[in-house]
Amino acid sequence: MMEPTIGDLSDPLINHTEGQLFLHEAFKIIVEEVLCKGTDVKEKVCEWKEPEELALLLDLELRENGEPQERVLQRVKDVAKYSIKTSHPRFFNQQYGGVDYHSLAGRFLSEALNTNLFTYEVAPVFILMEAEVLRGLRKLVGWTEGDGLFCPGGSTSNNYAMNLARYRLYPEVKSQGLWSLPRLTVFTSPESHYSVKKGAAFLGLGMDNVILVKVDDGGHMIPEDLDEKIELSKSQGSVPFLVSCTAGTTVQGAFDPLDRIADVCDKHKLWLHVDAAWGGSVLFSKKHRHLMEGVHRANSVAWNPHKMLVAGLQCSVLLLKDTTNLLKKCHSANAAYLFQQDKFYDVNLDIGDKSLQCSRKVDCLKLWLMWKAIGSTGLEQRVDKAFLHARYLVDQMKKRDGFQLLREPEFVNVCFWFIPPSLRGKEKNADYQSKLAKVAPVIKERMMKQGTMMVGYQPLGDRVNFFRITVFSPLISQADMDFFLDEIERLGKDL
Amino acid sequence: MMASNTEIQIKENGVLDDTSLDVAAAESFLQKSMAIILEDAVKKAVDVRQKVCEWRSPEELKDLLDLELREDGESETRILQRCRDAIRYSVKTTHPHFFNQLYAGLEPYSMAASFITEALKPSVYTYEVSPVFTLMEDAVLRKIIQVLGWEEGDGIFNAGGSMSNMYAMNLARYRCFPEIKEHGNSAAPRLVVFTSQECHYSISKAAALMGIGTKNVIVVPADKRGKMIPSALEEQIKSAKNEGAVPFMVNATAGTTVLGAFDPIDEIADICEKYKLWLHVDACWGGAVILSNKHKHLMKGIQRVNSVAWNPHKMLMACLQCSAFLVRDKTRLLQHCHSARASYLFQQDKFYDLSYDTGDKSVQCSRKPDAFKFWLMWKALGTRELEHRVDRALVMARYLAEQMKKREGFKLVMEPEFANVCFWYIPPSLRDLPDCPEFWKKLHNVAPLIKERMMKKGSMMVGYQPHGGRANFFRMVVISPQVSKQDMDFVLDEIHSLGMDL
Repeated sequence: MMEPTIGDLSDPLINHTEGQLFLHEAFKIIVEEVLCKGTDVKEKVCEWKEPEELALLLDLELRENGEPQERVLQRVKDVAKYSIKTSHPRFFNQQYGGVDYHSLAGRFLSEALNTNLFTYEVAPVFILMEAEVLRGLRKLVGWTEGDGLFCPGGSTSNNYAMNLARYRLYPEVKSQGLWSLPRLTVFTSPESHYSVKKGAAFLGLGMDNVILVKVDDGGHMIPEDLDEKIELSKSQGSVPFLVSCTAGTTVQGAFDPLDRIADVCDKHKLWLHVDAAWGGSVLFSKKHRHLMEGVHRANSVAWNPHKMLVAGLQCSVLLLKDTTNLLKKCHSANAAYLFQQDKFYDVNLDIGDKSLQCSRKVDCLKLWLMWKAIGSTGLEQRVDKAFLHARYLVDQMKKRDGFQLLREPEFVNVCFWFIPPSLRGKEKNADYQSKLAKVAPVIKERMMKQGTMMVGYQPLGDRVNFFRITVFSPLISQADMDFFLDEIERLGKDL
Repeated sequence: MMASNTEIQIKENGVLDDTSLDVAAAESFLQKSMAIILEDAVKKAVDVRQKVCEWRSPEELKDLLDLELREDGESETRILQRCRDAIRYSVKTTHPHFFNQLYAGLEPYSMAASFITEALKPSVYTYEVSPVFTLMEDAVLRKIIQVLGWEEGDGIFNAGGSMSNMYAMNLARYRCFPEIKEHGNSAAPRLVVFTSQECHYSISKAAALMGIGTKNVIVVPADKRGKMIPSALEEQIKSAKNEGAVPFMVNATAGTTVLGAFDPIDEIADICEKYKLWLHVDACWGGAVILSNKHKHLMKGIQRVNSVAWNPHKMLMACLQCSAFLVRDKTRLLQHCHSARASYLFQQDKFYDLSYDTGDKSVQCSRKPDAFKFWLMWKALGTRELEHRVDRALVMARYLAEQMKKREGFKLVMEPEFANVCFWYIPPSLRDLPDCPEFWKKLHNVAPLIKERMMKKGSMMVGYQPHGGRANFFRMVVISPQVSKQDMDFVLDEIHSLGMDL
């Protein structure tokens, strides 16, 4: 290979015209395959292939030589074809899904502008925008001031909260570490998100020091048990420092009783973090925000607009009540190459040192643009509608044979077993539970291989595999709910 | 008009007939917004005749953008204008004269991959939800492992290089004391990590987050070319052990942030083997050299290390974020260290091979398919073209350095090792001053002023910083495929033009 010489440096290597043409063509494919077909109920939700087969189809190998544009465009088509259509009205598998076109435009724009959110000089618009969005979200929590940050996912938001709680209690931990500190304990429920445990391990606290508090049948943390467990932990010589409760648990969609938990935290002077990654969006709804009554008493709230608000992955915030610049003090490293103090503008705008990330994506634009387009009222309607869908589903399930709810949903997670005709009435049989456990996996396999829809299942505690459908996409209608029920029946009736 | 006009028809009994979305209007909006994006944010942004930035003070910008979030929505026209405004006042990091950070430029294949990702919105935790991207991430990781010269390995893409460095620290700690995962740091003696004074600050942030403590990050001096001094490393290790601390990791940097220096990996590996320490190489910036036959010697010894962090979103221009973490291990260490085995996501009775559900290797739950941005561009360009780009960047950096030597008023901080060209601009008024504290004090004020002027003019962006006790100097970062030597000449002319009266 010839070494590039000075002569070769006269022309740029990138041919922008070609590049932009490629982008145009790729965009057309995206619109056609992902946005049109991907949201069309006449098309499949997924095109199932076994991993080995898919690997061959995609021709994954990275080679010495490049390829012509047509070949690359074909690859774009293949990617679209074999990917799950998460915007599809029958994609109910996760706590994100559906599509909002304003946030989508915001996402494309964020990608095209390709920048990091660490300093005003590099991202002036977004530094200001992020601050405004955080302010708007804090207002919904009930805070007129405070702090916060966008994080790469709710797990990170939860980890940051844990870090802040620890730092507030023992600021020396930043420089000295945990080595000479007593054992610190965190309290959460067994229905909380697993990031609390992962966070405890990562932060050097240890998963065993995450104390699980009992929940009631609906999956709500029991404040009396929280109080007892805190007392117990203290009596063992540990130092409780954080309660991480959940507003909208992952599986059941339960909302922990925040006011009463806040009472316990006040009593013991513990940091109260509310993981509202899933349920936080109820704060937009005058009708349903009562589910998070007491949230303003928390120290921190994690909230993922990429879930129910359909902002698109990723859009996760950590909101803080604190006004003492705790976030920056806890996280800063004052790197002189990035956060120069002699800049010609107010350097307090360079908020990058509040984060543990260096490069950090612009995740606020997608939410801001959507919020501007439809207003808080529009977002409220979206949330309210989701509740109505869930209610409709529940009512329909009660009318149909074979659908057994775990319990009345509190939120928009509808958890149920489908009991095939062959098992109906046989609850007393010794092998009923083990047979029932096998139903959901088979129905799931069938639905994926046929590509008609996607819904998740899981066991929980001593309850065997049940389905969890989450309904919130702006694209779904009653017809999709009916289809869902019919399809479960169709796929499972012979089991 | 879109959703602001749309009423949801809700019957008395709560049944909902229609979707709340007018699909035709939505698609029309999308087409229009995409046209604006492609015209203003993509095409114009790379045009050297346009400004790099449209400077506004924060107060002014707040007024212009009208950021407040309100109850009511807005018309399509208004929203499209907002898109235009966001573009107009954003810094054009894809502009040929943007040299401010360790990322720059536009890679169209990677950008197309970004757009696809945004449209599909996959999360790479399970094969069922993300079949294509799970396989792609694996293919890219395997290829990187091959290029590194490892026989086996594992890895994952993270939300940034800082996170990759944290993963390295976590794995190193876990390998040393696996019981820490359950019992916490108190199950172990005081652990210490070693890194050079030139390393990235994420090492310090990692130590703080992980409960290790920033004081337990032992800083090893670097030589005058910014490289870690191996003998000093060994001294520090011995010293730490004498104090009763337990060294567990060394972080070496391949391509330091400011100077672009490469720590001597082979020699450091000798020391790590001797003391049985985990050797992590933060190659977030310099990692691209492994693709270059000519320059990979800078990372000689890389087959001996335990882990590597590399950000293709830097020199290779994959769209942000694209950060790879590789670990030379075949014991599923990453999985063991991070897993929590959540049963709602990683069910054990799925109908496909569960080893494809890689999400439990991560500390994140939802995770973007960042590897795809690299895969598509690698497919389109091929390894040879990527190599060509790296080589060209270094030739360009060399050209710039040579030009500086020929011009009065430009003084290199050091001969560049990589693509960072660090220099002072000395205005005529200071050129006759002797090398004394007063000279440096005055010089320290020059870069900030020139920076202010270039930003207000919008002609280019170059970063400056004080570093290692030196007065503020500029750091030119040459990433390149779209810049030419005329752009290098322009940089020198412009700095002079902006600063000559100081």
